[in-house]
Amino acid sequence: MYLVADISVEICAAKSCKLCTQYCPEANTILYSDEMGKDKGFKYGSAYVAVDRCKGCAQCVWVCDNMAKNNAIKMIMIDQLPVAALTDNITYGEKSTTAALVSPVVG
Amino acid sequence: MSLDYVKFSSGFEKFMPKEYRDMVEHGPFGKKVSVSQMGSFKEVLEEHPMCAGCAMTLFIRLAMIAFPNPEDTITVGTAGCGRLAISQAAIPFVYGNYGDQNGVASGLSRGLRLRFGDKPKDVVVMAGDGGTADIGFQQVLHSWFRKERFTTIMLDNEVYGNTGGQESGMTNRGAVLKMAPLGKKFEKMDMLQMAKVAGCAYVATVVPNNPRRVESVIKKAVLIAREVGSTYIQAYTSCNIEYAIPTDKVMEDAKNVENDRYQFSEYITDEAKQFLTERYGYKEFLPKPAAPAPGLPKS
Ligand SMILES: Cc1ncc(C[n+]2csc(CCOP(=O)(O)OP(=O)(O)O)c2C)c(N)n1
Ligand code: SF4
Ligand code: SF4
Ligand code: SF4
Repeated sequence: MYLVADISVEICAAKSCKLCTQYCPEANTILYSDEMGKDKGFKYGSAYVAVDRCKGCAQCVWVCDNMAKNNAIKMIMIDQLPVAALTDNITYGEKSTTAALVSPVVG
Repeated sequence: MSLDYVKFSSGFEKFMPKEYRDMVEHGPFGKKVSVSQMGSFKEVLEEHPMCAGCAMTLFIRLAMIAFPNPEDTITVGTAGCGRLAISQAAIPFVYGNYGDQNGVASGLSRGLRLRFGDKPKDVVVMAGDGGTADIGFQQVLHSWFRKERFTTIMLDNEVYGNTGGQESGMTNRGAVLKMAPLGKKFEKMDMLQMAKVAGCAYVATVVPNNPRRVESVIKKAVLIAREVGSTYIQAYTSCNIEYAIPTDKVMEDAKNVENDRYQFSEYITDEAKQFLTERYGYKEFLPKPAAPAPGLPKS
């Protein structure tokens, strides 16, 4: 098993700065959803990780901790994530994306 | 080239991979996208084998978002790490022999002008510091002296990364690398000064820890190269493998190096300023309004 980045919707949506989307070296790996967190009463959406594309570098963790000062991202063993976003389950819209979360190991 | 070259023929849609369909339907072609929208649209860059956490990868990702017309752009590259990603994008990529890239780009850019006349087709070279300042040095300098109208971007990781850590002309004096165990004996080459002497119309340095700045300098460089002349960007894109930078410290290193030897610098000729202002509506080069007359000194 290997580590991937996991973003806490509750912590991210309180700030929702989108910085990590600009610093992940991999394309379309940290995405942003206007909808994520709305069900929990947050005004703005949240960033999330397409874990099948994540190379586990933890650069996003440094960016969220030190630049955004929000500590919303942790590295987690992929089989310890009950659900996550995968490229196949991401839908692009006009200005944002939505993701159906599934088990990253079973797919 | 145009948006049409990526579209699928009717009936084939269902056979195309999801990533491809997303790119046609939600990619940047024919629209203006910016780094502030990252994470919300499908990028032209796909998955590739560059190392986890590589700053060069991030820079290439940002560069492709910054291209003013990705559907009318051709990239040219050469041996070295960068081509592993540059080639995995929905932008035609020409791979020259090691060091050939600025010669290939000269012919390509001239040919495109003959074929397409005034319609801008942008040629952008992206090559490593070894490819640009050592092996390709002669072709790079000559393309600048000839004022060839394309953009040269040096992906400066200050080492030959792809072949396991030899020193390049851009390595800093004293740096100890796997295949330079006694430390480099000479200074880092001043390619910025050489670009100015050779007549480049625009010369800038950037680090990828400032995505908006990367976007801004690449846009300017590509636009200026359409008519005015050669443009050169030198980007610090660390090699975390050869310099043993922990991947979660790559941006911290970029910040330190920016403060140390890679401060932002931008050189632009008057002709290029006038071109950006008149043709593309840039406001930053307009004369600043005269400061209001100072009030009478209080007695
Ligand atoms: C003519 C020729 N000589 C040598 C090589 C082997 N080679 C491949 S990549 C490379 C070094 C690349 O270094 P640099 O241009 O700095 O790019 P980096 O990999 O650091 O991004 C070399 C020497 C080659 N491909 N062709
Ligand atoms: S940097 Fe942190 S707070 Fe900002 S969008 Fe990313 S996860 Fe959310
Ligand atoms: S760990 Fe690295 S590859 Fe994965 S999401 Fe974070 S920055 Fe991107
Ligand atoms: S060897 Fe260095 S420059 Fe090449 S991909 Fe790996 S980290 Fe990047």
